[in-house]
Amino acid sequence: MNWKIVAHLIRVDRKSGRLIRGGRLSRAFERKLITYVLYGGALVLGIAVGCLAGYFYNSISIVDPQTKTLFDLGLVNLSLSLPTLVLIYSLIFTMMQQIQRSGARFTIQAPYWLPITWNEHTLASLLANLIGFPLISITFIAPALITVSFFAGQVGFAVLTSFAVLASAFMASAITEIFRTVQARFIGAVTKSSGRAAVWVRFAGSLLFFVAFYIVYFTLTSGTGAIVFVQTIASAQSSVWFVPFFWLGMFLYSFIGGMLWQTLAFLGLSLLFVLSLFYAAVSLNKRFGLYEPPSITVSRGVYTPRAGLLGRLGFSTTEAALIRKDAKAFTRRRELMFVFVLPVVLIMFPLLQTMGAMGQVPQSIATPLYVLPLTFLMPSAILAVYLGSVMIGEEGEAMWRIYSAPISAKNVVKSKYSFIIFLSTLVITVTGIVGVVAFHPSPRATTVAFTESFLLMFALSAISLSFGIKGSDFRELPRPRMIRPEWSLINLIACFVAALAILAPFIPYAFTVIALVPTIDPYYAAVVSAVISIAITFIAYRIALRNARELLAKAET
Amino acid sequence: MAVGYSSAVVLKHVVKSFGRISAVDDVELEIRPGEIFGLLGPNGSGKSTAMKMLLGLVQPDAGVVEVFGTDVKKDPVAVKRQVGYVPESPRLYEFLTGFEYLDFIGDVFGMTTEEKKERISEYLKALDLEGREGDMISGYSQGMKQKVALVSALLHKPKLLILDEPLNGLDPKSARIVKDLLHELKAQGVTTLMSTHVLEIAEAICDRIAIMYQGRILALGSMDELRQKASLPGSGLEDIFLKLTGAGDIKEVVEELLK
Repeated sequence: MNWKIVAHLIRVDRKSGRLIRGGRLSRAFERKLITYVLYGGALVLGIAVGCLAGYFYNSISIVDPQTKTLFDLGLVNLSLSLPTLVLIYSLIFTMMQQIQRSGARFTIQAPYWLPITWNEHTLASLLANLIGFPLISITFIAPALITVSFFAGQVGFAVLTSFAVLASAFMASAITEIFRTVQARFIGAVTKSSGRAAVWVRFAGSLLFFVAFYIVYFTLTSGTGAIVFVQTIASAQSSVWFVPFFWLGMFLYSFIGGMLWQTLAFLGLSLLFVLSLFYAAVSLNKRFGLYEPPSITVSRGVYTPRAGLLGRLGFSTTEAALIRKDAKAFTRRRELMFVFVLPVVLIMFPLLQTMGAMGQVPQSIATPLYVLPLTFLMPSAILAVYLGSVMIGEEGEAMWRIYSAPISAKNVVKSKYSFIIFLSTLVITVTGIVGVVAFHPSPRATTVAFTESFLLMFALSAISLSFGIKGSDFRELPRPRMIRPEWSLINLIACFVAALAILAPFIPYAFTVIALVPTIDPYYAAVVSAVISIAITFIAYRIALRNARELLAKAET
Repeated sequence: MAVGYSSAVVLKHVVKSFGRISAVDDVELEIRPGEIFGLLGPNGSGKSTAMKMLLGLVQPDAGVVEVFGTDVKKDPVAVKRQVGYVPESPRLYEFLTGFEYLDFIGDVFGMTTEEKKERISEYLKALDLEGREGDMISGYSQGMKQKVALVSALLHKPKLLILDEPLNGLDPKSARIVKDLLHELKAQGVTTLMSTHVLEIAEAICDRIAIMYQGRILALGSMDELRQKASLPGSGLEDIFLKLTGAGDIKEVVEELLK
């Protein structure tokens, strides 16, 4: 193992972040910010939190010995569960990082033509994956734990916990690497065997993966789920001692219990497991690291162009072609498939909360106040905001095709806007039906909620499209950027303000509901809201047209 | 012949700078209808920028660019309707199949279903893409992608072809087909402006050639005229090119590298 090569590879990987952030940071600032400031900040914060907790520990030790005991117990329980917790969130974050980079396989491809071994490549990949939140969090956790342990007199245990936490993060990164390599091969095999259905198999598979991922993520992180989870880990770890992922926790559990041989055994087993994961990742990289997935055959036989429904709806052939092309992009490009996951995730949140942890059907007839906006307004509004902001940028470096073809600004804006409206209408329909079935809102509430969803969708789509054009970013590596971050932020703020303006007429109605005084008819509010929405849509659409004209005229200058 | 126009392309005192770098410096150029015109020059000499200006993809800082009498700045869409363009490194929609991509292009240029069907099949057959047309472009080789880009430029029967390194990555058979095709299109009155670093190709198929260097046109004319300008009677385009662009002493450079 040539450690210098590993260090060089990690450095290269870290620098790939420039492509994500954009090249505006100066080199000195970049080095300081990314290399030192974040980690230094986490370290200082960790020590400060440790000191604060230690001060609290000292003060309660004198006045309240019972609380002191509880604190000791809590600290031990937390330490015991930390390796598993770090393993889980590192797994989530390293996987998120892989998902983010999935569209940029060339930037992360092993430079196989260079004298670099697979061991070096894999190790560098594992360590580079940890850079960012996992490593920053450990830089916070370890000093915090060690500092507070000075006060609690458990320094040795805290040092071992820090080591276990670091090993857990490495374990998570190794699992992600294994998963990435295996899934590339697996997806390739599925693609090959599914033939013409490959596109739909891949689409459905990706959606299922994302939805499953978010269900697990929400279950672990939201509400009481997280607390229950930590408690379960701390208490149930010893009953599942045979599962290798808990061996680091068992090592700490044995140490605190004063079981020397057991401590050594679990430490040895843990190290062995971490090493075996690393070598498994190396051997998988050796076999499949340069695997090229087979090409997907979508159609065979005679070419049959279709006249299309869009033409009959009044779209020109150019506009219809753009809409059809975008529909294919959103069902075939992984980074865009997220659009279909977004409404599912958004509607899952209130459903999980209302139905309870075990998925009981809601018995309550009275619909909670927050449920209607969450199920009706949010999914389509957020989708419209997101779609509008990326609709132009998603063209990527193939944008030259639009630039060089006889496509006018009107064609571009009309087709892109219509696509957003089509997709958002579909989402409103689906989430609305789910909302009605799950929460039984009154007919009046349902009508108003549907109307407002459409009003928000029309206005927010136009606003975000205009900003999406203005801030479009066509760079594709290491992942498609689509919109510049500053414009994305401006877009969010503008859409938020516009949404408030559209929903503002309902404020008096909401007050009357809360105050339980005779209610104002919400239909009046809906009419005022419609007027505001139409005005915003009209202005934003015209701005989008102007921005598109500018974009097509300036092109590459 | 494209009747009614004395010039297919006109560039009058065109200037373009990117910051302090002068990409195109007071270029004057006229390309006749039905001509195959070669634009040569070392890397970074301003060829691609000049070609992009013809489509309105790059706005000149000064000067006028006209295509078939239309000012590109005033009506770029009308110009684009008449042009087939292949950029230096064409990025295609990789999530579409070859068929779908060309179908999209046909629609954008307002072709009828019958026209699309007929021409796409013809071109795919000619360029050996048959059998792979239903595959997603992401699975294509570089040469296949280049072929698709070429077909997309030819599909709508443009009056002007702007081809930036059109033979990049093509196999010998396809390269020959494209060369012959350009000759046939010339006979039908189609104007071609192409840039290439393969000087033999330029020498073989171009009626006139312009050599660009540091944003300026150093020499322009037929092969005979270029030979005269370079005072190299009987020599090939490579020698003329190297002499005019000041890269003549290759031997010294090679010897220095071998030390």
